Amino acid sequence: MGSLFSKKPQSKVTEQDKAVLQLKSTRDKIRQYQKRSEATLEKDRQLAKQLLQNGKKDRAKLLLRKKRFIEEQLTKTDGTLENIEKMIQDIEFAQIEMKVVDSLKVGNEALKQINEMLSIEDVERILDETQEAAEKQREIDALLSGGILTDEDESAVEEELDALIAAAVEKQLPEAPSAAENPEVELPDVPETLPEPAKEKVKTKERVAMAAS
Amino acid sequence: MTDFEWPWQYNFPPFFTLQPNSDVRKIQLDAWCALVLSWGKSNNVSQIDVTEASSLPVFRNSAISRALPADAIAVVLEELAKRGNLEWTDKSKRRGYLFWRSPTEWGQQIYTWAQSTSRINTVSTLYEINQGDETASEEFHGLDIDVLMKALKALEASGKVEIMDFGDNQGVKFL
Repeated sequence: MGSLFSKKPQSKVTEQDKAVLQLKSTRDKIRQYQKRSEATLEKDRQLAKQLLQNGKKDRAKLLLRKKRFIEEQLTKTDGTLENIEKMIQDIEFAQIEMKVVDSLKVGNEALKQINEMLSIEDVERILDETQEAAEKQREIDALLSGGILTDEDESAVEEELDALIAAAVEKQLPEAPSAAENPEVELPDVPETLPEPAKEKVKTKERVAMAAS
Repeated sequence: MTDFEWPWQYNFPPFFTLQPNSDVRKIQLDAWCALVLSWGKSNNVSQIDVTEASSLPVFRNSAISRALPADAIAVVLEELAKRGNLEWTDKSKRRGYLFWRSPTEWGQQIYTWAQSTSRINTVSTLYEINQGDETASEEFHGLDIDVLMKALKALEASGKVEIMDFGDNQGVKFL
């Protein structure tokens, strides 16, 4: 299998990975040991019970002593296992931290590079140039549209517009009739008697119509 | 074994005799392959020894006192090998790996598990993968170590893991 690795251009397995693998292998071995011990314990318990039933108290005692020893051993391995697990966690976390620092470094580098490209003078210069360009653009615009309109011109335009609007409104309104223009029209006398309300209405209507023509 | 449901052919005596007609024989072999694979899957059998094969329940139905003769077993195994579901361990063809799931599929499952448990970029031992408490609910728990190795090699070929092997420490790094 070693030859398999050597073929690759570069292995992604680091020394830390190897350390973790070794720790995990040890952990597996301890776990296997624990499983084995637990099985033995169970067997011993059954055996001791049987021995007691057969009246072999001494042997049962011996067996229980052995069982006790294994139990103690098991508690010890629990501690070892915990240590190993902790170590694995520590290494794995340290690897992550290393990556964090690495990426921070890269980020810092990138930021620095960008900042180098963008100096404050550059920004000022660029902004100035933009301003100039905008002004130039405005001038060209003005030239192309034939003259610069000042505020005065603007107000003159407004005035003209107002006048036009006023004229249009006047044209729309009919002229009020005047007595001097139609001397022939005789205004009726004020009736002496009160007319009937309906008749009076009709008369007013006729007069309005005449005036409009 | 207890909850494995045998197909109807298993209780059909002629099924245990290779049929001479080539069309019928083809269907029969199809059924045999399917039976052996589903039986292997249900009983987690990953290796078949040819000399012991005749005593396997899959090739022997005592209820109807029928058994597939040795030469017919050889034909079935050969057919499985042709389909890629069996790989001989050596040239003498005495023993073979039964792949009711191809190593690539196994690899895919293992990699999916590694992804779902955020194991990418970490190291795992082989024991952890096929015996550990973490995989007790996975299908590849208890997988034959040789088949597991093949699965991991398939993964390595596609660049998803790197197999580590030094001293007596065997493991993989998920990439």
